[in-house]
Amino acid sequence: MAKRISYSNILRTLFAWLIALLLFFPLLFLIITAFKTELQAIAVPSIWSFTPTFENFSEVQDRSDYANYAINSIITSSASTLLGLLMAVPAAYSMAFAPTRRTKDILMWMLSTKMMPAVGALIPIYVIFQSFGMLDTLGALTIIFTLMNLPIMVWMLYSYFKDIPFEIIEAARIDGAGLWEEFRHVLLPIGMGGIASTGLLCFVMAWNEAFWALNLGSANAGTLATMIASYSSPEGLFWAKLSAASLMAIGPIVVFGWFSQKQLVQGMTFGAVK
Amino acid sequence: MAFLHLNKVEKYYGNVHAIKGIDLAIEKGEFIVFVGPSGCGKSTLLRMIAGLEEIDKGSLHLDGKDISQTHPSKRDLAMVFQSYALYPHMTVTENMSFALKLAKESSAVIKQKVNDAAEKLDLTQYLDRTPKELSGGQRQRVAIGRAIVRSPKVFLFDEPLSNLDAALRGQTRVEIAHLHRELEATSIYVTHDQVEAMTLADRVVVMQAGVIEQVGTPMELYDYPANKFVAQFIGMPSMNILPSTLFRDAPYHTTEVGIRPEHFKLIAPDQAQLTGEIEMVEALGNETLTHININDQSQQIIVRQHQRSQLKPGQKVGLQWDTPKLHYFDDQGLVIR
Repeated sequence: MAKRISYSNILRTLFAWLIALLLFFPLLFLIITAFKTELQAIAVPSIWSFTPTFENFSEVQDRSDYANYAINSIITSSASTLLGLLMAVPAAYSMAFAPTRRTKDILMWMLSTKMMPAVGALIPIYVIFQSFGMLDTLGALTIIFTLMNLPIMVWMLYSYFKDIPFEIIEAARIDGAGLWEEFRHVLLPIGMGGIASTGLLCFVMAWNEAFWALNLGSANAGTLATMIASYSSPEGLFWAKLSAASLMAIGPIVVFGWFSQKQLVQGMTFGAVK
Repeated sequence: MAFLHLNKVEKYYGNVHAIKGIDLAIEKGEFIVFVGPSGCGKSTLLRMIAGLEEIDKGSLHLDGKDISQTHPSKRDLAMVFQSYALYPHMTVTENMSFALKLAKESSAVIKQKVNDAAEKLDLTQYLDRTPKELSGGQRQRVAIGRAIVRSPKVFLFDEPLSNLDAALRGQTRVEIAHLHRELEATSIYVTHDQVEAMTLADRVVVMQAGVIEQVGTPMELYDYPANKFVAQFIGMPSMNILPSTLFRDAPYHTTEVGIRPEHFKLIAPDQAQLTGEIEMVEALGNETLTHININDQSQQIIVRQHQRSQLKPGQKVGLQWDTPKLHYFDDQGLVIR
């Protein structure tokens, strides 16, 4: 039987496409601008037909050491994700499987720290890192990215672990498993999906983080986010180069996100859809 | 000291006194069933023996050793859960061999034990499947298999049959009884189903509100219940409870009298001390259950006859009983002997 196509369905589809295009437009504009010359980039109205050039990309590579920024991004994102998981997994484990009367309060408190604007904590944190001589170091950025993502990580893992029937853990205990064996042979394999999607999300968030990266480490420990910012300088805005730099900065994570989108979507929707 | 000995064991959840000082001695090889209504503490008590709940007061000894504070992994017990609690990421073989691997048994021994258990439980052809590829009954057998490969000191069963359909439940019950005879393993079995309790147990422990009401063999509980609760809990349909005023020769202090449905006889109304009107007749083939309103319709009793009946609802009948089979209860519900 042929599916009936109703006008409301067509309208709804068109509307959804419109919204999607609207949301995607800035990114599209960025991609196009990256392949223009500076003159074409500032032309009003915008030029839509031109011969693409790779000049901006080679200039960005010449002017700023892309590889260095990229390595900093990889190091801080990976290290903060690993460090975060090391703390968040045990925390979520105990909250999910051995909750106390205060567990919900602690979870709410952790989430509430995310509601405070980051700039509110900038001065104390700056001073702390300064007095430890850690300003502009990869260590400082790793620590701050870890702390920034920790509440989200605990929340995500908590709701994921909550879905694992506790009796399976109890069965393992009765089978003779101590804490480590219980984690290694039961929790880790069953909870791998949740741990992986939490890790991925936090990796992406650390990669894209700009506020702390700019304020605590833009020279030696600068990440790709700080590289983009360096193209908006007192000498003027270079739209085409800025776009090229942005594209180079977000490129790896977009590709990475594309390949792991199944995990990411799972991570963001479990708990919500039961 | 008994093989497994609970000494004044107590459990609190906040202000709730869930287990109120339980004393129980279980001998080696015994099949003990904890039975009681939901919320009576039977599962909590089992979980305390397993080490999954802490013992707040009192002590627990197994084979002469105090294991009150021992981690569950070190108690040498095996448990079959209501939800089976199989490891979803492992095959049947891996599920059954997990405990042996943790105990660092050699792989030859593990293979031998798993194959033996699989054969006993008719699981040999499913060894490479994961739990989600098995039916409920097969999962249940894997859970039992996981317990028996270890040859633990005590088997614990937490309502293991309640997720199965009626036919499978009956069949698995027989299998459990058979396994117990074969393995001669000490077992503690929790259920709210008194048929399971009566058919499986060497001794039944009847619990209510965190205390033991009575411990005894199934027939002891049926024939000599210690109180009204046990009298009504054991037996299907329940024992009929009538006011003592209907019984002229009841002992002093009797407030209520209990009669099992099969201890009534239906006779002609004009010859009877007690008469009533039939409300419903349940013809079950092998027996007939007749529901009768007595005392001016204010109370209903059930009479069991092991024959077919021609009686119809609305008819008047007379009731007669076996006086030696009466149970007399005082105002506390305790039996008067």
